[in-house]
Amino acid sequence: MLQSLKIEWLKVKNYRTFWILSALYILSIWGINYIVYVVQWKIYHDKNAGDAAKLFLGGPPYAFPKVWAMTAYVSSYLLFIAGLIMIINVTNEFSFKTHRQNIIDGETRTQFIITKLVCGAVVALVSTLFVFLTAMFFGITAEEGGFSFENFQYILYFFLQALSYCWLAIFFSLLFKRSGISIGVFFLYTIVLENVLVQALNYYANGSGRYLPIQSSDELLPLPFLEKIQQEISKSEVNTTLQLVLVFVYLAAYFFFSKRKFETDDL
Amino acid sequence: MDVLTLNGITKYYGKIRALNNVSFSVPEGSVFGILGPNGSGKTTMLGIIMDILRPTSGTFTFYGAPSSAAIRRQIGTLLETPNFYHYLSGERNLRIAAEIKGKGHNQIEHVLHKVNLYQRKDSKFSTYSLGMKQRLAIASCLLGDPKVLVFDEPTNGLDPVGIAEIRELIKNLAKEGKTIIMASHLLDEVEKVCTHVGILKMGNLLAAGKVDEVLVNEDIVEVGASNIQLLEQVLYSLNGYTTIKKHNEYIQLFFPVGAANLEKINAHCFNNSVVLSHLRLKKKSLETKFLELTNQ
Repeated sequence: MLQSLKIEWLKVKNYRTFWILSALYILSIWGINYIVYVVQWKIYHDKNAGDAAKLFLGGPPYAFPKVWAMTAYVSSYLLFIAGLIMIINVTNEFSFKTHRQNIIDGETRTQFIITKLVCGAVVALVSTLFVFLTAMFFGITAEEGGFSFENFQYILYFFLQALSYCWLAIFFSLLFKRSGISIGVFFLYTIVLENVLVQALNYYANGSGRYLPIQSSDELLPLPFLEKIQQEISKSEVNTTLQLVLVFVYLAAYFFFSKRKFETDDL
Repeated sequence: MDVLTLNGITKYYGKIRALNNVSFSVPEGSVFGILGPNGSGKTTMLGIIMDILRPTSGTFTFYGAPSSAAIRRQIGTLLETPNFYHYLSGERNLRIAAEIKGKGHNQIEHVLHKVNLYQRKDSKFSTYSLGMKQRLAIASCLLGDPKVLVFDEPTNGLDPVGIAEIRELIKNLAKEGKTIIMASHLLDEVEKVCTHVGILKMGNLLAAGKVDEVLVNEDIVEVGASNIQLLEQVLYSLNGYTTIKKHNEYIQLFFPVGAANLEKINAHCFNNSVVLSHLRLKKKSLETKFLELTNQ
Protein backbone atom coordinates (compact mmCIF):
# COMPACT_ATOMS: atom_id res chain seq x y z
CA MET A 1 0.00 0.00 0.00
CA LEU A 2 2.88 2.35 0.80
CA GLN A 3 4.28 1.72 -2.69
CA SER A 4 0.86 2.47 -4.23
CA LEU A 5 0.63 5.71 -2.27
CA LYS A 6 4.11 6.65 -3.42
CA ILE A 7 2.96 6.20 -7.03
CA GLU A 8 -0.10 8.31 -6.28
CA TRP A 9 2.23 10.96 -4.86
CA LEU A 10 4.27 10.98 -8.08
CA LYS A 11 1.02 11.57 -9.99
CA VAL A 12 0.02 14.69 -8.02
CA LYS A 13 3.44 16.03 -7.03
CA ASN A 14 3.78 18.14 -10.17
CA TYR A 15 0.09 18.61 -10.87
CA ARG A 16 -0.54 22.33 -10.53
CA THR A 17 -4.36 22.15 -10.66
CA PHE A 18 -4.32 19.86 -7.64
CA TRP A 19 -2.09 22.12 -5.55
CA ILE A 20 -3.88 25.36 -6.44
CA LEU A 21 -7.28 23.84 -5.64
CA SER A 22 -6.02 22.27 -2.41
CA ALA A 23 -4.39 25.51 -1.24
CA LEU A 24 -7.51 27.57 -1.98
CA TYR A 25 -9.70 24.94 -0.35
CA ILE A 26 -7.67 24.94 2.85
CA LEU A 27 -7.51 28.73 2.87
CA SER A 28 -11.29 28.79 2.42
CA ILE A 29 -11.82 26.53 5.45
CA TRP A 30 -10.27 29.26 7.53
CA GLY A 31 -11.95 31.98 5.41
CA ILE A 32 -15.54 30.78 5.67
CA ASN A 33 -15.13 30.44 9.44
CA TYR A 34 -13.64 33.92 9.61
CA ILE A 35 -16.70 35.38 7.85
CA VAL A 36 -19.08 33.77 10.34
CA TYR A 37 -16.74 34.70 13.19
CA VAL A 38 -16.86 38.38 12.22
CA VAL A 39 -20.66 38.35 12.07
CA GLN A 40 -21.02 36.76 15.51
CA TRP A 41 -18.35 39.07 16.95
CA LYS A 42 -20.30 42.11 15.75
CA ILE A 43 -23.52 40.75 17.25
CA TYR A 44 -21.94 39.92 20.59
CA HIS A 45 -20.22 43.33 20.78
CA ASP A 46 -23.38 45.27 19.94
CA LYS A 47 -24.92 46.71 23.10
CA ASN A 48 -28.51 45.59 22.56
CA ALA A 49 -28.06 42.57 20.30
CA GLY A 50 -25.18 41.26 22.42
CA ASP A 51 -27.29 41.05 25.56
CA ALA A 52 -30.12 39.38 23.67
CA ALA A 53 -27.72 36.90 22.05
CA LYS A 54 -26.17 35.98 25.39
CA LEU A 55 -29.63 35.54 26.87
CA PHE A 56 -31.01 33.28 24.13
CA LEU A 57 -27.94 31.61 22.68
CA GLY A 58 -25.49 31.53 25.55
CA GLY A 59 -21.76 32.16 25.07
CA PRO A 60 -20.31 33.04 21.65
CA PRO A 61 -20.03 30.07 19.23
CA TYR A 62 -16.38 30.76 18.34
CA ALA A 63 -15.16 30.14 21.88
CA PHE A 64 -14.52 26.88 23.70
CA PRO A 65 -16.37 24.58 24.05
CA LYS A 66 -18.78 25.46 21.20
CA VAL A 67 -16.00 26.23 18.72
CA TRP A 68 -15.43 22.55 17.82
CA ALA A 69 -19.01 22.07 16.76
CA MET A 70 -19.27 25.50 15.16
CA THR A 71 -16.14 25.19 13.01
CA ALA A 72 -17.08 21.65 11.95
CA TYR A 73 -20.59 22.82 11.01
CA VAL A 74 -19.49 25.88 9.03
CA SER A 75 -16.59 24.06 7.31
CA SER A 76 -18.86 21.24 6.16
CA TYR A 77 -20.34 23.66 3.60
CA LEU A 78 -17.00 23.47 1.74
CA LEU A 79 -16.83 19.69 1.53
CA PHE A 80 -18.05 19.67 -2.07
CA ILE A 81 -14.58 21.02 -2.92
CA ALA A 82 -12.97 17.96 -1.31
CA GLY A 83 -15.27 15.89 -3.51
CA LEU A 84 -14.22 17.96 -6.53
CA ILE A 85 -10.56 17.23 -5.86
CA MET A 86 -11.31 13.50 -5.72
CA ILE A 87 -13.40 13.62 -8.91
CA ILE A 88 -10.56 15.34 -10.77
CA ASN A 89 -8.09 12.80 -9.40
CA VAL A 90 -10.13 9.81 -10.57
CA THR A 91 -11.57 11.10 -13.87
CA ASN A 92 -8.09 12.26 -14.95
CA GLU A 93 -7.11 8.58 -14.99
CA PHE A 94 -10.07 7.83 -17.25
CA SER A 95 -9.46 10.70 -19.64
CA PHE A 96 -5.72 9.95 -19.94
CA LYS A 97 -6.55 6.21 -20.02
CA THR A 98 -3.82 5.82 -17.43
CA HIS A 99 -6.11 3.57 -15.37
CA ARG A 100 -5.61 1.05 -18.19
CA GLN A 101 -1.89 1.69 -18.38
CA ASN A 102 -1.44 1.26 -14.62
CA ILE A 103 -3.10 -2.17 -14.84
CA ILE A 104 -1.12 -3.08 -17.97
CA ASP A 105 2.12 -2.08 -16.23
CA GLY A 106 1.34 -4.45 -13.39
CA GLU A 107 -0.97 -2.99 -10.75
CA THR A 108 -3.95 -5.14 -9.89
CA ARG A 109 -7.42 -3.68 -10.34
CA THR A 110 -7.99 -4.09 -6.62
CA GLN A 111 -4.78 -2.25 -5.77
CA PHE A 112 -5.74 0.61 -8.06
CA ILE A 113 -9.22 1.19 -6.65
CA ILE A 114 -8.23 0.66 -3.01
CA THR A 115 -5.44 3.21 -3.46
CA LYS A 116 -7.96 5.75 -4.78
CA LEU A 117 -10.25 5.09 -1.80
CA VAL A 118 -7.31 5.51 0.57
CA CYS A 119 -6.51 8.80 -1.19
CA GLY A 120 -10.09 9.86 -0.47
CA ALA A 121 -9.46 9.05 3.19
CA VAL A 122 -6.26 11.11 3.11
CA VAL A 123 -8.11 14.12 1.66
CA ALA A 124 -10.78 13.71 4.37
CA LEU A 125 -8.06 13.46 7.02
CA VAL A 126 -6.21 16.56 5.82
CA SER A 127 -9.52 18.48 5.67
CA THR A 128 -10.23 17.43 9.25
CA LEU A 129 -6.76 18.43 10.35
CA PHE A 130 -7.27 21.94 9.00
CA VAL A 131 -10.72 22.17 10.58
CA PHE A 132 -9.08 21.17 13.86
CA LEU A 133 -6.38 23.86 13.47
CA THR A 134 -8.98 26.47 12.50
CA ALA A 135 -11.07 25.63 15.55
CA MET A 136 -7.98 25.82 17.76
CA PHE A 137 -7.11 29.21 16.29
CA PHE A 138 -10.52 30.77 16.95
CA GLY A 139 -10.89 29.05 20.31
CA ILE A 140 -7.56 30.25 21.62
CA THR A 141 -7.92 33.81 20.31
CA ALA A 142 -11.45 34.10 21.74
CA GLU A 143 -11.89 36.49 24.67
CA GLU A 144 -13.84 34.04 26.74
CA GLY A 145 -13.90 30.34 27.46
CA GLY A 146 -10.88 28.31 28.58
CA PHE A 147 -9.44 25.47 26.43
CA SER A 148 -11.61 22.40 26.50
CA PHE A 149 -12.08 19.17 24.55
CA GLU A 150 -15.79 19.20 25.31
CA ASN A 151 -17.68 18.77 22.03
CA PHE A 152 -14.53 17.47 20.30
CA GLN A 153 -16.57 14.55 18.89
CA TYR A 154 -17.87 17.01 16.27
CA ILE A 155 -14.40 17.09 14.72
CA LEU A 156 -14.59 13.29 14.36
CA TYR A 157 -18.08 13.58 12.87
CA PHE A 158 -16.63 16.08 10.42
CA PHE A 159 -14.10 13.47 9.35
CA LEU A 160 -16.88 10.98 8.70
CA GLN A 161 -18.79 13.50 6.64
CA ALA A 162 -15.64 14.43 4.68
CA LEU A 163 -15.03 10.75 3.98
CA SER A 164 -18.65 10.36 2.84
CA TYR A 165 -18.22 13.23 0.35
CA CYS A 166 -14.89 11.89 -0.96
CA TRP A 167 -16.06 8.30 -1.43
CA LEU A 168 -19.36 9.38 -2.96
CA ALA A 169 -17.29 11.54 -5.34
CA ILE A 170 -15.12 8.52 -6.25
CA PHE A 171 -18.21 6.41 -6.83
CA PHE A 172 -19.76 9.06 -9.12
CA SER A 173 -16.45 9.29 -11.03
CA LEU A 174 -16.42 5.53 -11.61
CA LEU A 175 -20.04 5.68 -12.67
CA PHE A 176 -19.77 8.55 -15.17
CA LYS A 177 -16.04 8.38 -16.05
CA ARG A 178 -16.06 11.91 -17.53
CA SER A 179 -15.13 14.84 -15.32
CA GLY A 180 -17.81 17.29 -16.52
CA ILE A 181 -20.80 15.07 -15.92
CA SER A 182 -19.35 13.69 -12.65
CA ILE A 183 -18.75 17.17 -11.22
CA GLY A 184 -22.15 18.42 -12.40
CA VAL A 185 -24.12 15.53 -10.94
CA PHE A 186 -22.08 15.52 -7.73
CA PHE A 187 -22.56 19.25 -7.08
CA LEU A 188 -26.23 19.26 -7.99
CA TYR A 189 -26.91 16.16 -5.91
CA THR A 190 -25.03 17.17 -2.77
CA ILE A 191 -25.94 20.87 -2.84
CA VAL A 192 -29.48 20.91 -4.24
CA LEU A 193 -31.14 17.64 -5.16
CA GLU A 194 -30.60 15.74 -1.95
CA ASN A 195 -31.82 18.71 0.08
CA VAL A 196 -34.98 18.81 -2.01
CA LEU A 197 -35.45 15.08 -1.36
CA VAL A 198 -34.80 15.60 2.34
CA GLN A 199 -37.50 18.27 2.57
CA ALA A 200 -39.95 16.18 0.57
CA LEU A 201 -39.32 13.02 2.61
CA ASN A 202 -39.49 14.95 5.87
CA TYR A 203 -42.84 16.36 4.87
CA TYR A 204 -44.46 13.36 3.23
CA ALA A 205 -42.64 10.43 4.82
CA ASN A 206 -42.48 11.23 8.49
CA GLY A 207 -39.05 12.85 8.70
CA SER A 208 -37.21 10.06 6.89
CA GLY A 209 -35.14 12.56 4.91
CA ARG A 210 -32.37 12.21 7.45
CA TYR A 211 -31.59 8.73 6.20
CA LEU A 212 -30.34 9.90 2.80
CA PRO A 213 -26.61 9.43 2.05
CA ILE A 214 -25.23 12.93 2.67
CA GLN A 215 -27.98 14.06 5.03
CA SER A 216 -27.26 11.15 7.36
CA SER A 217 -23.84 12.62 8.05
CA ASP A 218 -25.20 16.20 7.97
CA GLU A 219 -27.43 15.33 10.90
CA LEU A 220 -24.32 14.68 12.99
CA LEU A 221 -23.26 18.31 12.58
CA PRO A 222 -26.14 20.56 13.68
CA LEU A 223 -25.71 24.32 14.00
CA PRO A 224 -24.62 24.42 17.66
CA PHE A 225 -26.62 27.27 19.15
CA LEU A 226 -29.75 26.57 17.12
CA GLU A 227 -29.78 22.89 18.07
CA LYS A 228 -32.51 23.39 20.60
CA ILE A 229 -34.65 25.52 18.31
CA GLN A 230 -34.20 23.04 15.45
CA GLN A 231 -35.35 20.21 17.66
CA GLU A 232 -38.38 22.21 18.66
CA ILE A 233 -39.30 22.73 15.01
CA SER A 234 -38.77 19.17 13.83
CA LYS A 235 -40.19 17.76 17.06
CA SER A 236 -37.62 15.04 17.13
CA GLU A 237 -34.19 14.59 18.58
CA VAL A 238 -31.28 13.47 16.47
CA ASN A 239 -30.44 9.90 17.31
CA THR A 240 -26.65 10.11 17.06
CA THR A 241 -26.08 6.37 17.27
CA LEU A 242 -28.54 5.64 14.50
CA GLN A 243 -27.02 8.36 12.30
CA LEU A 244 -23.51 7.01 12.93
CA VAL A 245 -24.60 3.51 11.98
CA LEU A 246 -26.17 4.89 8.81
CA VAL A 247 -23.00 6.81 7.92
CA PHE A 248 -20.94 3.63 8.30
CA VAL A 249 -23.43 1.65 6.22
CA TYR A 250 -23.22 4.22 3.42
CA LEU A 251 -19.39 4.30 3.63
CA ALA A 252 -19.28 0.51 3.39
CA ALA A 253 -21.61 0.68 0.38
CA TYR A 254 -19.45 3.27 -1.44
CA PHE A 255 -16.38 1.16 -0.72
CA PHE A 256 -17.95 -2.11 -1.80
CA PHE A 257 -19.65 -0.86 -4.97
CA SER A 258 -16.64 1.19 -6.13
CA LYS A 259 -14.36 -1.79 -5.62
CA ARG A 260 -16.68 -4.21 -7.38
CA LYS A 261 -17.32 -1.85 -10.26
CA PHE A 262 -13.64 -1.29 -10.98
CA GLU A 263 -12.79 -4.95 -10.55
CA THR A 264 -15.40 -6.25 -12.98
CA ASP A 265 -15.79 -3.51 -15.62
CA ASP A 266 -14.16 -3.40 -19.02
CA LEU A 267 -11.68 -0.58 -18.51
CA MET B 1 7.73 -23.41 -24.55
CA ASP B 2 4.78 -21.25 -25.47
CA VAL B 3 4.81 -17.76 -24.01
CA LEU B 4 1.12 -17.17 -24.48
CA THR B 5 -1.74 -19.55 -25.16
CA LEU B 6 -5.33 -18.54 -25.86
CA ASN B 7 -8.10 -21.11 -25.46
CA GLY B 8 -11.41 -20.25 -27.07
CA ILE B 9 -11.50 -16.56 -26.20
CA THR B 10 -14.87 -15.03 -27.02
CA LYS B 11 -15.85 -11.44 -26.31
CA TYR B 12 -19.19 -9.74 -26.73
CA TYR B 13 -19.77 -5.99 -26.41
CA GLY B 14 -23.49 -6.13 -25.82
CA LYS B 15 -24.79 -7.86 -28.93
CA ILE B 16 -21.67 -7.26 -30.97
CA ARG B 17 -19.29 -10.17 -31.11
CA ALA B 18 -15.75 -8.79 -31.14
CA LEU B 19 -13.95 -12.12 -30.81
CA ASN B 20 -15.24 -15.56 -31.67
CA ASN B 21 -13.61 -18.57 -30.06
CA VAL B 22 -10.02 -17.52 -30.76
CA SER B 23 -7.30 -20.03 -29.89
CA PHE B 24 -3.59 -19.97 -30.72
CA SER B 25 -0.16 -20.09 -29.15
CA VAL B 26 2.80 -17.77 -29.32
CA PRO B 27 6.11 -19.71 -29.24
CA GLU B 28 9.02 -18.32 -27.25
CA GLY B 29 11.40 -16.17 -29.25
CA SER B 30 8.95 -15.53 -32.08
CA VAL B 31 7.77 -12.22 -33.46
CA PHE B 32 4.08 -12.93 -33.62
CA GLY B 33 2.07 -10.59 -35.81
CA ILE B 34 -1.65 -10.27 -35.35
CA LEU B 35 -2.88 -9.09 -38.69
CA GLY B 36 -6.32 -7.85 -39.45
CA PRO B 37 -8.27 -4.96 -40.88
CA ASN B 38 -9.54 -2.15 -38.63
CA GLY B 39 -12.16 -3.40 -36.21
CA SER B 40 -11.18 -7.05 -36.54
CA GLY B 41 -10.66 -7.50 -32.80
CA LYS B 42 -6.89 -7.11 -32.49
CA THR B 43 -6.92 -4.55 -29.69
CA THR B 44 -9.78 -6.33 -27.91
CA MET B 45 -7.68 -9.49 -27.90
CA LEU B 46 -4.62 -7.73 -26.51
CA GLY B 47 -6.82 -5.90 -23.97
CA ILE B 48 -8.10 -9.24 -22.71
CA ILE B 49 -4.64 -10.74 -22.21
CA MET B 50 -3.64 -7.54 -20.34
CA ASP B 51 -6.64 -7.81 -17.97
CA ILE B 52 -8.23 -4.51 -18.93
CA LEU B 53 -11.09 -6.27 -20.72
CA ARG B 54 -13.02 -9.27 -19.45
CA PRO B 55 -13.52 -12.13 -21.91
CA THR B 56 -17.10 -13.38 -22.20
CA SER B 57 -15.70 -16.90 -22.26
CA GLY B 58 -12.41 -18.70 -22.77
CA THR B 59 -9.09 -18.66 -20.94
CA PHE B 60 -5.46 -17.74 -21.58
CA THR B 61 -2.15 -18.51 -19.94
CA PHE B 62 1.34 -17.01 -19.86
CA TYR B 63 4.08 -19.65 -19.67
CA GLY B 64 1.38 -22.16 -18.83
CA ALA B 65 0.18 -20.25 -15.77
CA PRO B 66 -2.88 -18.02 -15.36
CA SER B 67 -2.24 -14.33 -15.91
CA SER B 68 -1.35 -12.14 -12.92
CA ALA B 69 -0.15 -8.64 -12.14
CA ALA B 70 3.31 -10.08 -11.44
CA ILE B 71 3.48 -11.48 -14.98
CA ARG B 72 2.27 -8.18 -16.47
CA ARG B 73 5.17 -6.43 -14.73
CA GLN B 74 7.53 -8.60 -16.80
CA ILE B 75 5.85 -7.68 -20.09
CA GLY B 76 6.29 -4.37 -21.90
CA THR B 77 2.98 -3.39 -23.42
CA LEU B 78 1.86 -0.60 -25.72
CA LEU B 79 -1.90 -0.84 -26.20
CA GLU B 80 -3.79 1.21 -28.78
CA THR B 81 -2.66 4.72 -27.80
CA PRO B 82 0.17 6.01 -25.60
CA ASN B 83 -1.45 6.51 -22.17
CA PHE B 84 0.37 9.04 -20.02
CA TYR B 85 -0.31 11.92 -17.61
CA HIS B 86 -0.54 14.96 -19.88
CA TYR B 87 0.68 17.40 -17.26
CA LEU B 88 3.87 15.48 -16.44
CA SER B 89 7.13 15.40 -18.38
CA GLY B 90 8.16 12.33 -20.35
CA GLU B 91 10.70 11.39 -17.72
CA ARG B 92 8.29 11.78 -14.81
CA ASN B 93 5.76 9.60 -16.64
CA LEU B 94 8.40 6.91 -17.02
CA ARG B 95 9.16 7.13 -13.29
CA ILE B 96 5.55 6.24 -12.54
CA ALA B 97 5.72 3.30 -14.96
CA ALA B 98 9.02 2.15 -13.42
CA GLU B 99 7.54 2.32 -9.92
CA ILE B 100 4.53 0.23 -10.95
CA LYS B 101 6.76 -2.31 -12.66
CA GLY B 102 8.98 -2.37 -9.58
CA LYS B 103 12.08 -1.38 -11.58
CA GLY B 104 14.65 1.20 -10.63
CA HIS B 105 14.79 4.66 -12.17
CA ASN B 106 18.33 4.11 -13.48
CA GLN B 107 17.10 2.63 -16.78
CA ILE B 108 15.00 5.65 -17.70
CA GLU B 109 17.84 7.54 -19.37
CA HIS B 110 18.85 4.45 -21.30
CA VAL B 111 15.40 3.78 -22.77
CA LEU B 112 14.91 7.46 -23.61
CA HIS B 113 18.14 7.36 -25.59
CA LYS B 114 17.03 4.17 -27.30
CA VAL B 115 13.93 5.82 -28.77
CA ASN B 116 15.64 9.18 -29.47
CA LEU B 117 13.63 11.14 -26.96
CA TYR B 118 16.31 12.09 -24.45
CA GLN B 119 16.49 15.74 -25.55
CA ARG B 120 12.80 16.24 -24.83
CA LYS B 121 12.62 14.27 -21.59
CA ASP B 122 11.74 17.33 -19.51
CA SER B 123 8.97 18.59 -21.79
CA LYS B 124 5.40 17.96 -20.76
CA PHE B 125 3.76 14.98 -22.43
CA SER B 126 0.99 17.27 -23.73
CA THR B 127 3.55 19.15 -25.86
CA TYR B 128 4.74 15.99 -27.63
CA SER B 129 3.87 15.22 -31.24
CA LEU B 130 2.01 11.99 -32.00
CA GLY B 131 5.26 10.33 -33.04
CA MET B 132 7.02 11.40 -29.84
CA LYS B 133 4.14 10.10 -27.74
CA GLN B 134 4.47 6.78 -29.53
CA ARG B 135 8.22 6.72 -28.86
CA LEU B 136 7.66 7.43 -25.17
CA ALA B 137 5.21 4.54 -25.03
CA ILE B 138 7.79 2.26 -26.61
CA ALA B 139 10.43 3.53 -24.17
CA SER B 140 8.06 2.67 -21.34
CA CYS B 141 7.70 -0.86 -22.72
CA LEU B 142 11.47 -1.31 -22.66
CA LEU B 143 11.77 -0.44 -18.96
CA GLY B 144 13.11 -3.36 -16.99
CA ASP B 145 14.33 -5.15 -20.12
CA PRO B 146 11.26 -7.43 -20.39
CA LYS B 147 11.47 -10.78 -22.16
CA VAL B 148 8.06 -10.37 -23.74
CA LEU B 149 6.80 -7.27 -25.53
CA VAL B 150 3.31 -6.51 -26.76
CA PHE B 151 2.95 -3.78 -29.36
CA ASP B 152 -0.38 -2.63 -30.74
CA GLU B 153 0.21 -0.73 -33.99
CA PRO B 154 3.71 0.35 -32.91
CA THR B 155 4.41 2.53 -35.93
CA ASN B 156 1.12 4.40 -35.70
CA GLY B 157 1.63 8.13 -36.20
CA LEU B 158 5.33 7.90 -36.97
CA ASP B 159 7.00 9.48 -39.99
CA PRO B 160 8.84 7.22 -42.48
CA VAL B 161 12.15 7.61 -40.63
CA GLY B 162 10.47 6.84 -37.35
CA ILE B 163 8.74 3.81 -38.85
CA ALA B 164 12.07 2.46 -40.11
CA GLU B 165 13.70 3.11 -36.71
CA ILE B 166 10.98 1.32 -34.79
CA ARG B 167 11.03 -1.65 -37.16
CA GLU B 168 14.78 -1.83 -36.76
CA LEU B 169 14.35 -1.65 -32.98
CA ILE B 170 11.82 -4.50 -33.08
CA LYS B 171 14.12 -6.61 -35.23
CA ASN B 172 16.99 -6.00 -32.82
CA LEU B 173 14.80 -6.91 -29.88
CA ALA B 174 13.87 -10.13 -31.68
CA LYS B 175 17.57 -10.85 -32.27
CA GLU B 176 18.15 -10.50 -28.53
CA GLY B 177 15.75 -13.42 -28.18
CA LYS B 178 12.73 -11.51 -26.98
CA THR B 179 9.23 -12.65 -27.79
CA ILE B 180 7.23 -9.94 -29.49
CA ILE B 181 3.49 -9.94 -30.01
CA MET B 182 2.53 -7.24 -32.45
CA ALA B 183 -0.85 -6.19 -33.82
CA SER B 184 -0.93 -4.47 -37.15
CA HIS B 185 -3.18 -3.74 -40.08
CA LEU B 186 -0.11 -3.26 -42.26
CA LEU B 187 0.71 -6.45 -44.07
CA ASP B 188 4.01 -5.06 -45.20
CA GLU B 189 5.01 -4.49 -41.58
CA VAL B 190 4.14 -8.04 -40.57
CA GLU B 191 5.98 -9.43 -43.60
CA LYS B 192 9.10 -7.42 -42.81
CA VAL B 193 9.24 -7.99 -39.08
CA CYS B 194 7.34 -11.11 -38.04
CA THR B 195 8.20 -14.79 -37.93
CA HIS B 196 4.67 -15.89 -37.09
CA VAL B 197 1.28 -14.48 -37.94
CA GLY B 198 -2.33 -14.86 -36.96
CA ILE B 199 -5.00 -13.37 -39.19
CA LEU B 200 -8.14 -11.95 -37.62
CA LYS B 201 -11.27 -10.92 -39.41
CA MET B 202 -14.51 -9.84 -37.72
CA GLY B 203 -13.32 -11.55 -34.55
CA ASN B 204 -12.56 -14.86 -36.24
CA LEU B 205 -9.06 -16.26 -36.42
CA LEU B 206 -8.68 -17.26 -40.08
CA ALA B 207 -5.19 -18.67 -39.88
CA ALA B 208 -2.22 -18.80 -37.54
CA GLY B 209 1.30 -20.12 -37.91
CA LYS B 210 4.65 -19.30 -39.46
CA VAL B 211 4.57 -16.36 -41.85
CA ASP B 212 5.88 -18.37 -44.82
CA GLU B 213 3.25 -21.05 -44.23
CA VAL B 214 0.26 -18.78 -43.72
CA LEU B 215 1.12 -16.15 -46.27
CA VAL B 216 2.34 -18.57 -48.93
CA ASN B 217 3.69 -16.62 -51.83
CA GLU B 218 2.89 -17.95 -55.28
CA ASP B 219 3.72 -17.32 -58.91
CA ILE B 220 0.77 -17.58 -61.25
CA VAL B 221 1.18 -18.40 -64.93
CA GLU B 222 -1.68 -17.68 -67.30
CA VAL B 223 -1.75 -19.73 -70.50
CA GLY B 224 -4.24 -19.56 -73.34
CA ALA B 225 -4.76 -21.35 -76.68
CA SER B 226 -7.51 -21.55 -79.28
CA ASN B 227 -8.38 -25.10 -78.18
CA ILE B 228 -8.66 -24.70 -74.43
CA GLN B 229 -9.79 -28.33 -73.81
CA LEU B 230 -6.74 -29.72 -75.54
CA LEU B 231 -4.52 -27.24 -73.69
CA GLU B 232 -5.91 -28.42 -70.37
CA GLN B 233 -5.21 -32.07 -71.20
CA VAL B 234 -1.67 -31.23 -72.25
CA LEU B 235 -1.03 -29.24 -69.09
CA TYR B 236 -1.98 -32.22 -66.93
CA SER B 237 1.23 -33.91 -68.01
CA LEU B 238 3.29 -30.89 -67.00
CA ASN B 239 5.11 -31.09 -63.66
CA GLY B 240 5.96 -28.54 -61.02
CA TYR B 241 2.79 -26.57 -60.38
CA THR B 242 0.67 -26.93 -57.26
CA THR B 243 -2.78 -26.02 -58.54
CA ILE B 244 -4.52 -25.60 -61.86
CA LYS B 245 -7.53 -23.34 -62.36
CA LYS B 246 -9.58 -23.22 -65.54
CA HIS B 247 -11.13 -19.97 -66.71
CA ASN B 248 -13.08 -19.23 -69.91
CA GLU B 249 -10.28 -17.55 -71.79
CA TYR B 250 -7.20 -19.01 -70.13
CA ILE B 251 -5.90 -21.46 -67.57
CA GLN B 252 -4.04 -20.48 -64.38
CA LEU B 253 -1.14 -22.53 -63.05
CA PHE B 254 0.11 -21.88 -59.51
CA PHE B 255 3.80 -22.38 -58.77
CA PRO B 256 5.89 -21.92 -55.65
CA VAL B 257 7.86 -18.67 -55.77
CA GLY B 258 10.55 -18.80 -58.50
CA ALA B 259 9.57 -22.26 -59.74
CA ALA B 260 7.69 -21.16 -62.84
CA ASN B 261 9.65 -21.59 -66.08
CA LEU B 262 7.82 -20.01 -69.00
CA GLU B 263 10.14 -21.44 -71.67
CA LYS B 264 9.56 -24.95 -70.38
CA ILE B 265 5.79 -24.49 -70.39
CA ASN B 266 5.86 -23.11 -73.90
CA ALA B 267 8.07 -25.94 -75.18
CA HIS B 268 5.93 -28.57 -73.45
CA CYS B 269 2.76 -27.29 -75.08
CA PHE B 270 4.38 -26.91 -78.52
CA ASN B 271 5.81 -30.43 -78.38
CA ASN B 272 2.30 -31.67 -77.62
CA SER B 273 0.95 -29.79 -80.66
CA VAL B 274 -0.72 -26.92 -78.81
CA VAL B 275 0.30 -23.45 -79.91
CA LEU B 276 -0.11 -20.89 -77.16
CA SER B 277 -1.91 -17.63 -77.88
CA HIS B 278 -1.34 -16.27 -74.36
CA LEU B 279 1.48 -16.80 -71.86
CA ARG B 280 1.99 -14.51 -68.91
CA LEU B 281 3.68 -14.64 -65.50
CA LYS B 282 1.85 -12.88 -62.66
CA LYS B 283 3.55 -12.33 -59.32
CA LYS B 284 0.99 -12.79 -56.61
CA SER B 285 1.55 -10.20 -53.94
CA LEU B 286 1.00 -10.78 -50.24
CA GLU B 287 -1.55 -8.05 -50.49
CA THR B 288 -3.81 -10.19 -52.72
CA LYS B 289 -3.20 -13.16 -50.49
CA PHE B 290 -4.22 -11.13 -47.47
CA LEU B 291 -7.32 -9.80 -49.21
CA GLU B 292 -8.13 -13.32 -50.34
CA LEU B 293 -7.86 -14.59 -46.79
CA THR B 294 -9.90 -11.81 -45.27
CA ASN B 295 -12.54 -11.89 -48.01
CA GLN B 296 -13.48 -15.49 -47.41
